[in-house]
Amino acid sequence: MKNKMFDFLAGYVRAEVKGKYPELFIDRCMKNGISIWQVRRIGDNAISCCFYAKDISKIRVLLRRTGCRLSFKQKYGIPFLIKKMHSRKGFIFGFIFSLFVIFFMSNMVWSIQIDGASPEVEHDVKQVLHNIGLKKGAFVFLLPSEQEIQQEVTESVDKLTWVGVKRLGTRYSFEVVEKKVPEEKEALNPRHLIAKKKAVVYKVFTEQGQAMVEERDYVQKGDLLISGIVGSKENEKIMPAKGSILGEVWYLSSASVPLESTVVTNTGNFMNHYYLKAGNFNIPIWGFKKNSFLKKETLTDMKPIYFLKWELPISFEKRKILEIEHKKRVLSEKEAKKLALEMTEKDVIRKVGEEAEIKGKKVLREKIDNGKVNITVHYQVIEEISTEQPIIRGD
Amino acid sequence: MAKWRDTFKKWLASKTNLPADALLDLPRVTMIGQLHIYIENHKGVVHFSDDELRLALNKGQQMKVKGENFVIKTILPEELLLEGKISCVEYIDGKGS
Repeated sequence: MKNKMFDFLAGYVRAEVKGKYPELFIDRCMKNGISIWQVRRIGDNAISCCFYAKDISKIRVLLRRTGCRLSFKQKYGIPFLIKKMHSRKGFIFGFIFSLFVIFFMSNMVWSIQIDGASPEVEHDVKQVLHNIGLKKGAFVFLLPSEQEIQQEVTESVDKLTWVGVKRLGTRYSFEVVEKKVPEEKEALNPRHLIAKKKAVVYKVFTEQGQAMVEERDYVQKGDLLISGIVGSKENEKIMPAKGSILGEVWYLSSASVPLESTVVTNTGNFMNHYYLKAGNFNIPIWGFKKNSFLKKETLTDMKPIYFLKWELPISFEKRKILEIEHKKRVLSEKEAKKLALEMTEKDVIRKVGEEAEIKGKKVLREKIDNGKVNITVHYQVIEEISTEQPIIRGD
Repeated sequence: MAKWRDTFKKWLASKTNLPADALLDLPRVTMIGQLHIYIENHKGVVHFSDDELRLALNKGQQMKVKGENFVIKTILPEELLLEGKISCVEYIDGKGS
């Protein structure tokens, strides 16, 4: 009939009503629609009863009319608890504050440990971490994920091969494997230098050994370029051949570029939204602006929140909303040709490596077909053509 | 006139299945053992103490409930829930009827 819970929320009091005829008071309450309960007689001229705190003023008026007097005995419910809390503000504030402190401390980076790195590399790594924002006192949920950190560190520090990132509560631990730059090893074994592909010899630098080819010679794959055997037949000496033979090699590369195409591009507009996620609920805490992007892409990064060592059921979520655009790209024939040419050049450079030099190029075929520019280009590339071949003596 | 109407109502209650309390403005009393007594359609508390509750009914009639350790659990206009050990429920005719 009555909900105890609701009574507690609304707040109620137990009071004693003293007067000549307290039944009259009960009657009046009833008639005025003031709910009272737990009425008990406690003396000849007194009853005790309960009523809501909100009715107190109405009851006072009734009392005046019935000639009774009221004395409060006990207060129950939330409104009174809140009042009580007000008088203990300091304590409550301190308690909440300390909870907050523990909460923030649990989500902070307390130490960064770097293992297996020389002081120099350690410094570099620290520098990179500092730039990312990973330092003592940073909030874990604002940092990029471990994989991202790993990627960033690996890319930014040249001297390391691999770095392992692990987060243990409030500690970040890095395991670094440094790159061992191989020292120039002395060629101890006697060897020849031979051609690794067919080419026209462009330049010969001999350091040790006997050059067997001259400039503008045509060589096949496997031809001897610098011999490790020096001297006449009777007086021959075997040594490791050293040197460099540059050759002119020909490459064919083709590419095709459509004149019309759609490309997905980023307009550069983006928005960061931050959410607190509790179960299926997302509570936005920053970034309330509605995006007006026609087309968008959302990148989501979720971080759990810790209290001491426990993972709380809430998490911190960052959503980056990027505006994207589908652009129709229309190229003129000239532009398409240029682009195709660049593509072929890139292709060749990928094949031969950065050290090689493109000496000349010639467009062999060029055709516009089905709205596409097809192009085939001939490249003359100067590159190192020598490779080692050990000299093995049968007897 | 009023008397004629009462007679008619009584007749109606006896002939049809309409509940008498609604028709004749009589109290409806529900008791749960000796523990609770639930009285609807009363006209106010006349006397209340540990061992006795007296309620006004219509036409000057009164209802007396006797027992021990009485507590009024709820009181609403026309409704009352009394708790305690109930031993006796009695009607006292008023001067009016």
